[in-house]
Amino acid sequence: MTAYIIRRILWGIALLVIVCALTFVLFRIFPTGNPAVLRAGRDPQPKLIHEIERVLGLNKPLTTQFWDYLKNVLLHFNLGYSYYSQESVKSLIVERLPPTISLAVGAAVLWLIGGLGVGIISALRPRSVLDRGAMGAALVFISAPEFWLGLVALYLFASDIGKFKIFPGAGSYVPLTEDPWKWFTSLIMPWFVLAAGAAAVFARLMRGSLIETMDEDYIRTARAKGLEERLVVRQGVRSSINPIVTLLGLEIGTLLGGALLVETVFNIPGVGLLAYHAIIQADFSVIQGTVLLAAMFIIVANIVVDIGYAYLDPRVRYS
Amino acid sequence: MKSIRTAAAIATAALSALVLAACGSSGSSSSSSAASESAGGTAGFQSPTTESLGGKRGGTLQVLDESDFEHLDPGIAYYSVDYAVVFAVQRPLYSNKPNSNEPTPDMAEGPPEISPDNKTVTVKLKEGIHFSPPVNREVTSEDVAYAIERGANPNVANPYIQSYFSSIEGMPNATGGPIAGITTPNKHTIVFKLTEPKGQLVVDALVLPLTAAVPKEYTEKFDKHKPSDYASYQVATGPYMLKNNAEGKVLGIGYVPGKSATLVRNPNWNAKTDFRPAYLNEIQIQIGGADSVIGRQVLEGQDSVENDSQVAQSIIRLAAENDKSQLQISPGAGSHYIAVNNKVGPFSNINLRKAFWAALNRSAMVKARGGSLVTDVMTHFIYPTIPGFEQAGGLKGPQVDYNEHPEGDKEIAEKYIKLAGYESGKYTGGETITVVGSRGNPSEQDAEIVNQTLKNLGFTTKFTLVEDATMYAKYCGVPKEEIAVCPSVAWVADFADPQAVLNVTFNGTTITQTGNVNWGQTNDPKINAAMKAAEAVVGRSARATAWAKIDTELVEDAAAIPFDWDKQGNIEGKNVAGVGQLWNVGQWDYSWTSLK
Repeated sequence: MTAYIIRRILWGIALLVIVCALTFVLFRIFPTGNPAVLRAGRDPQPKLIHEIERVLGLNKPLTTQFWDYLKNVLLHFNLGYSYYSQESVKSLIVERLPPTISLAVGAAVLWLIGGLGVGIISALRPRSVLDRGAMGAALVFISAPEFWLGLVALYLFASDIGKFKIFPGAGSYVPLTEDPWKWFTSLIMPWFVLAAGAAAVFARLMRGSLIETMDEDYIRTARAKGLEERLVVRQGVRSSINPIVTLLGLEIGTLLGGALLVETVFNIPGVGLLAYHAIIQADFSVIQGTVLLAAMFIIVANIVVDIGYAYLDPRVRYS
Repeated sequence: MKSIRTAAAIATAALSALVLAACGSSGSSSSSSAASESAGGTAGFQSPTTESLGGKRGGTLQVLDESDFEHLDPGIAYYSVDYAVVFAVQRPLYSNKPNSNEPTPDMAEGPPEISPDNKTVTVKLKEGIHFSPPVNREVTSEDVAYAIERGANPNVANPYIQSYFSSIEGMPNATGGPIAGITTPNKHTIVFKLTEPKGQLVVDALVLPLTAAVPKEYTEKFDKHKPSDYASYQVATGPYMLKNNAEGKVLGIGYVPGKSATLVRNPNWNAKTDFRPAYLNEIQIQIGGADSVIGRQVLEGQDSVENDSQVAQSIIRLAAENDKSQLQISPGAGSHYIAVNNKVGPFSNINLRKAFWAALNRSAMVKARGGSLVTDVMTHFIYPTIPGFEQAGGLKGPQVDYNEHPEGDKEIAEKYIKLAGYESGKYTGGETITVVGSRGNPSEQDAEIVNQTLKNLGFTTKFTLVEDATMYAKYCGVPKEEIAVCPSVAWVADFADPQAVLNVTFNGTTITQTGNVNWGQTNDPKINAAMKAAEAVVGRSARATAWAKIDTELVEDAAAIPFDWDKQGNIEGKNVAGVGQLWNVGQWDYSWTSLK
């Protein structure tokens, strides 16, 4: 198992280098990818472009630029500087992480509790009104893009522009350390919006998986032997949860994509919003930094999920 | 010379991303104000020319901006959203009152003196203007000289210095050090010596923020960084300053990238030296969010405004329907036109260009951009509020038959196709022409109309839609790509002079192989010569006449197909007495806006 984990970590690092290379190359081959041209205004004179390229180090060979970048990232965890604000990308990201972590963790908790809870209840009462209602709602949430859902939530429930002025609206985020209650209330809508889609997927998956499991012979045997129903269900849930855990790793990626949209709609100053502005401004250093962070997040999450998978299902062993 | 930057793509685009950039002052003075009323204003709505300039002192204005600033360094700032802040914290030699395009002495004591040979410009500075903390000392002419010199420093790389100031002796080869043509005979006088008779152009460009004083002894160390990070430590001369700490650091305090900016009163600002009232105590700018949400927050809120380069069309309509007092429509927000390749392909034939112009339903195109509320059908190239607009024909434009019917005229189109040598009245040249448009509405809708018009005329097209920035950077701005038609290019002048509208975009001598903004590659020797002569003309009225004549020639040449003059809609909260900047596409002016 230890060897497996070490191997996964090494692969993770290799993958990060590949992601680095891909983002580096992609943004430099895009026709709009030369920040010097963008920086030179709408009448970009060749001399000015050349000077800006020199100042930003963009006139060096691509391989040199990439090697410098890689060295800085791997040896010093230096992600470079924003072309616009001149601030260190590392500090920009570090500063933006708490809101994104707040959003992501809260949403993940909601979607796990909500998704699994609804899935289990639906599976235990299949074809009931509750089941049909819950699965219908799940379908709606799966189909609804986060951006749209966020707008609907704001127009319905935001205290400034909503029909029912219940929750703080866009731009109301305050850090946890500043005011825990305001932090909590400002994130209620974003949590629900971000969690809705994933919770719906998890609910449907859990329902299907549990219904199948509860039809298994060993469940029937357990019941026949008089095992308490609560324990039977617990056994069934544990057996059904493997596909959920597998999906969890994949959903982390979706979560980050969703966080970008939700942070934009609710104006939460997190990494997603940072990435959004960087894309708009073609601020490559920042884009690369946020992509790298996202990749790292997904890789780590997948390693954790794989280990958790082995823990949950003793039949799974890694060599 | 900045045109419209869409963003943001930002369309992100979100923004498409993009951004309608704009800057510029425009127009003429009292006469230009009058002109802007008749040409481009929207009846029934407030505009920068009709707003009251009075106000109540005090309060904090909340500003909601969807997009972040690009550059707040006065030596680099170039777009309208940046200008809203830069012109509240800095004082160039000249600037504009919000309701006028006529430059007003700002750091300067009075009007500039232009020598009879048009090759020397002398400006005297006011006394008693001080830098904000931590510099605190009085501003001198050397600070203005340094501000301009650093613009040529590659670490600063001002985007327009060579376009407007290259006639200053020594400027073409300047790299940040002293420039021979800029001298400071005393503490309050600065003299520009030119190698060409372009005094008026230099004078017009003195309204740009590059001329805002910068203290050399304080800034030099920041300007040595690659690139310069003076923006993060900048000091102010205007009524406001970006909040800073004792060392002058602004970054993370008065400006947090992507999050917020805070403008507070500049304790060293002396109201007696300034024409701005500076009613507000503080301006808090929140960056980010979705444009439709921001718009509603402003309309339903009290003390807030949105100061983006473009407010969502749905929000403009909402404000127009529900409460006109919360909407300001500013004329003179630039223009959109169709670039047709004058050099190669079928549109090198002038009659085919005229046929295309005649056939095009320009009314449908402006409808896609919001209709008459925020647009006018464009009939020539100098746009409303820029001197020369009326002389070039005003809203109606030059009286040529292909310009007469904004909804398109098939018969006139056929007439010109026949004149081009195609007897059937349809183009039968056979080759496929390339049309590259910008993705995202309304540009995409415009591009579809253009493409359909071309097909109706008999052209076979290869129609491609790309991101706005890609359209310029890879296709329309690269002559060797030989794009026949770019359906929606845009332009906003940097300041109120017709040369800033027509020269770079239609002068054959400005064509470059990359980043070209003479998109149609117009290169008519007669027009080039007329532009060279007009460049040297002194006096706003004389220049307006000279450039209006060139504008008419461009129409007669059908050098491009104009379709839309933009107006900018801006929104304010119920308790805000907003004052927009006519010279800066209507952006709210923090130095004149107040709370009710």
